[in-house]
Amino acid sequence: MVTTENLTFYYKKEQHTFSFPDIFLEKQEDLLVLGKSGIGKTTFLHLLAGLLKPVNGTICIADTAINSLSARKLDIFRGQNIGLVFQKSHAIQSLNVFQNLQARLFFSKKAIHPKAIDQLLIELGLIEYKNSAIQELSVGQLQRLGIALSVIHNPKVILADEPTSSLDDENCKIVIELLKKQAKQTEANLIVITHDHRVKSFFSNTITI
Amino acid sequence: MNLLKISIQNMKIKPLYTFLSIFILALSIALLLGVQQLKNSFEHQIKNNLAGVDLVIGAKGSPLQLVVSSVLHLDNPTGNIPYDEAQKIRKNPMIKKAVPISYGDNYKGYRIVGTTSEFIALYGASLQKGNPVQKPMEVVLGYLVAERLYLNIGDTFLSSHGLIENEIDVHSDELTVVGILTPTQRVIDRLIITNLESIWQVHDHDDHDEEEEAEEHAEDHDHDDHDGEEEAKEHVQGDDHDNHNSHDQHQEEKEITSLLILFRNPSALLTFPRNINKNTNMQAALPKYELDRLYQFLGVGFKTVSWIAYLILIISGLTIFISLYKMVKERAFDLALLRTYGASNVQLIKIITYEGLLIVGFAFVVGFFVLKIALHYILNVLDGTKQQNILQNLPFEQLLYPVSLVLLITILSILLAIRPIMKMSISSILSREK
Repeated sequence: MVTTENLTFYYKKEQHTFSFPDIFLEKQEDLLVLGKSGIGKTTFLHLLAGLLKPVNGTICIADTAINSLSARKLDIFRGQNIGLVFQKSHAIQSLNVFQNLQARLFFSKKAIHPKAIDQLLIELGLIEYKNSAIQELSVGQLQRLGIALSVIHNPKVILADEPTSSLDDENCKIVIELLKKQAKQTEANLIVITHDHRVKSFFSNTITI
Repeated sequence: MNLLKISIQNMKIKPLYTFLSIFILALSIALLLGVQQLKNSFEHQIKNNLAGVDLVIGAKGSPLQLVVSSVLHLDNPTGNIPYDEAQKIRKNPMIKKAVPISYGDNYKGYRIVGTTSEFIALYGASLQKGNPVQKPMEVVLGYLVAERLYLNIGDTFLSSHGLIENEIDVHSDELTVVGILTPTQRVIDRLIITNLESIWQVHDHDDHDEEEEAEEHAEDHDHDDHDGEEEAKEHVQGDDHDNHNSHDQHQEEKEITSLLILFRNPSALLTFPRNINKNTNMQAALPKYELDRLYQFLGVGFKTVSWIAYLILIISGLTIFISLYKMVKERAFDLALLRTYGASNVQLIKIITYEGLLIVGFAFVVGFFVLKIALHYILNVLDGTKQQNILQNLPFEQLLYPVSLVLLITILSILLAIRPIMKMSISSILSREK
């Protein structure tokens, strides 16, 4: 369950205040947040992920008001309950595919089950790249690894920031379907923020900011 | 998966940087420890081999040469002094102990020293097996001589003239091993000890041989070359005269190389050396003073190398800092990503710290390895020339200083490198990299 109330954020440097609409998501409910560039979509996502502290308002994820958590508790909460997917997917360069997933679980303080990792890699079509270096992966493979990294720890919420912007129509569809499937499997809320209207048809719950 | 493994993986992904950081640091560690060890060994060698000798009396020449040759047994002697004169000096009431030494021969590069039984006691050695020298042509071997030349009690050998191993100028008198000394870690371990009579006897026989050869040579001239008769006669007469003189001198005026003196009271150092230098044809040299002078002279070199080592250490500290700082800056997104995984700032700092400490740890291992190889090489070179193993292992306390210094520089580098992590804004880094 994800709820936000009266959420605002102020950028000192730009002296600009963003206000965001309240959201209320039941368990496993998806949300698409649409909006033009520069409207504060990423800020909204970072507030939900606890990477930024709101000036006003509350964010509640899985019955926890994350904006009232201490820095260390927030790190732990984020690691255990939130999965992040980025437009340009990234992974730790010095670790291979399998080690990246191991590291994700390690920092989440979740048990590392190699079989579960293998199963996820099979589902995402990455099993043959299990021991590959990150630099050896294509953009599509990297995007799938990004999805794997966001769900391997069974989060409560998957937050995706422009996950399809740099993809063609076919890959756009594949990525959204994968995200929805993984969110369903892990019983997580999926919140996608994007300016890409191609994904609109995949979501029934949409807000525009 | 753990933080250390991530640090190791981080190092493996940039092998050249890692190698250079380790190599430069290892080099400075090896240099620092090497210089420290050499300085230490030199000081130890001086103190250890002085054996309480307050004064060395020998032939006029360089006082440093006299001390180095008579105390450290490293250089050639300045010449000989009459034994009679030495005996007179020995009777002086200010003198507690006076040990005459005579040398000029070697066996396979190891010096043969003719002396009295007091010499062995002077260096704190005692017999490990066998008996002391009782008759001429008997020798007692220093511990290392016996070990390295595989000599045992009852073995005999022929000495060579001079202080460098040679097979041309070999004496005809056999020396017999009668005893082997205990190890002392002093110069005596590398000496062959005999009595003064052995040295005189070996050289007397050689003089006799030369005399006989000269006479035969004269007879040949007499028979074969009548025209050169007068010239030959002159030659023979000349040689005869010299040899007889020399023979008489050996019989009547025996010589030694130097006299090692220990005073009853240190105040004797103020007057005694001056008297010797002023009133005799001999010179008195103060070992402590001369060796301090030598150390001061060499100290300039030690200091220069030390400064170079410190400079390299600072450069290697900078290399570690640059390497870690670059890692933090270049992989800011990776670190921010780890924060989204749930990693705390402390965990990120630990990753960087482990990297720094791993570099230092490897550098120490490599540094020690390089130092051991270098010292082994130096030892071999020294063994081949001076038969002197002057290197001492560095005591633990003296290792602490360079180790602490390297650790301090590393910690400083780490602290400077992790500053960006402390100020890291995950949101801005992730937004920038989108």
